[in-house]
Amino acid sequence: MPPLRELQLRFAANLLDPDGRYAAAHVLEGAIASDERIGFYRTNVVSNFRDTLRIVYPVVERLVGERFFNRAADRYMRVHPSASGDLNRFGECFADFLDTWPPARELPYLADVARLEWLVEESLHAAERESLRPTDLAAVPPDRQELLTFDLHPSCRLLVSAYPIHRIWQVSQPDAPGDAAVDLAEGGVFLLVLRHGHEVAIETLDHGAFCMFSLFAAGRNFDEALRYAVSVQPDFDVAAFLQRHVISGTFTGFDWPLSCSDETAHSDSQRPLAAAA
Amino acid sequence: MNGHGIPARAGIGLRPPHYRQLLDELPDIGWLEVHSENYFCQGGQPLYFLERLRRHYPVSLHGVGLSLGSTDALSQQHLTNLARLIDCVEPGLVSEHLSWSSVGGRFYNDLLPLPYTEEALVVVCQHVEQAQDFLGRQILVENVSSYLQFAESALPEWEFVGEVARRTGCGILLDVNNIFVSASNHGFDAARYLRSIPIQPVKEIHLAGHDDNGRCLIDTHGRRVADPVWALYRQALARFNAVPTLIEWDTDIPPLSKLLDEAAKADFYLGERRAAAA
Repeated sequence: MPPLRELQLRFAANLLDPDGRYAAAHVLEGAIASDERIGFYRTNVVSNFRDTLRIVYPVVERLVGERFFNRAADRYMRVHPSASGDLNRFGECFADFLDTWPPARELPYLADVARLEWLVEESLHAAERESLRPTDLAAVPPDRQELLTFDLHPSCRLLVSAYPIHRIWQVSQPDAPGDAAVDLAEGGVFLLVLRHGHEVAIETLDHGAFCMFSLFAAGRNFDEALRYAVSVQPDFDVAAFLQRHVISGTFTGFDWPLSCSDETAHSDSQRPLAAAA
Repeated sequence: MNGHGIPARAGIGLRPPHYRQLLDELPDIGWLEVHSENYFCQGGQPLYFLERLRRHYPVSLHGVGLSLGSTDALSQQHLTNLARLIDCVEPGLVSEHLSWSSVGGRFYNDLLPLPYTEEALVVVCQHVEQAQDFLGRQILVENVSSYLQFAESALPEWEFVGEVARRTGCGILLDVNNIFVSASNHGFDAARYLRSIPIQPVKEIHLAGHDDNGRCLIDTHGRRVADPVWALYRQALARFNAVPTLIEWDTDIPPLSKLLDEAAKADFYLGERRAAAA
């Protein structure tokens, strides 16, 4: 192996493993021992990774405390090593990690809270696009309405959890009032994450609305989405859904098939709706 | 202007806490520098403010993640993201570090030191050339601060830095605080370092604050530039003439006014140097 390659592999191994002496032989000692010198780099690397996670996952840290969070971060940086020179990608797998990390097992909602925080992060830095105006929809011929497909805003993210993670997120905000009890028996929640200007908002959805968005995101048309939404939630109010989400800027565009051949192709491609949800 | 859009004045590192105030007040500073990777995103607040501030200030892109000194191949994705950002920002200068941050596909996202050997020179030069070819422009490479020296090193750092510029035609971003920190940590003469760096390739200077952890100096970018670093900066200006100079502050980020004070101090020394040359 070329000497530089070997030196870098040894040095890197020593960055996360304080007990190894893989790189010490390459380092001049002087007044400070080699291990201590390498330790300065280890301290930088570890605290940099911890802080990167801390910035993206403040609610997770508030829920578990600094010591537990650092333990999780220290384990995470070893099993999901950073794979990019762009440190902003580093926290991407933290929720999946928390799902399987044994010490977090007593907090079954923790991974979903992390999932929500990552989606907020993604939403914050997603592309900007003009939202659809309510008047744009007036141009759609009435007999085409059920064939409409909708484009969701690039900052739009959907999340379903079996736990009341929205309430947990709310009571964990720095400005939340003191009474921070959340009853886990409140049950699950469907969430829409969407950026307005520079701020990201988290909204709760009913099950029908969540199905509508999920199917729109999968490219299914209005009729398909609505039939599925009503099948899971018979009292789903589609008029209220449209009014609320067109006004809030969730949609950026729509489309419908123009020709007969398009329509045929479209119906040929239909799959069981449940598969898309 | 220096022919490349960045004037020979003091600039400041653009950080999110100052976005709004900078855009509202548009203070008289020469230019802004950003960490390229923080603008690889598709949209949102960072790009919004960078785009608007770009209309008022020349901008330099300073990368921390390309890992020029790694024995791994350069990331094509990283280069592509950087090229896209360059298209959008049209920066006056693009710089990276003379260090490595990844090996075996794993990133440590830190500026790790190189052994100064012919082998390392070949690796760095090949990557600098690849980056310059891909981006279609010159890049600057910055000397990093270090807390150790490798037994393998056959060249002093200043020779390594100069040789990379000579072989690749890249520019040099001379970090005067890093020279001070490394000189103190390794016991070499900072003035000799300056004297050994070729004049023509030096296109930018960095200044920042450091800390003393009781064992060695650490390059924290978390306080004012230290007095002996200002003194070394004046020596650097005497050799390299008035060069665009950046005040970097990355931890414990102060109010904008404090950053502007530091920039004004650099501008004062730049003016002094110009007057001496006139």
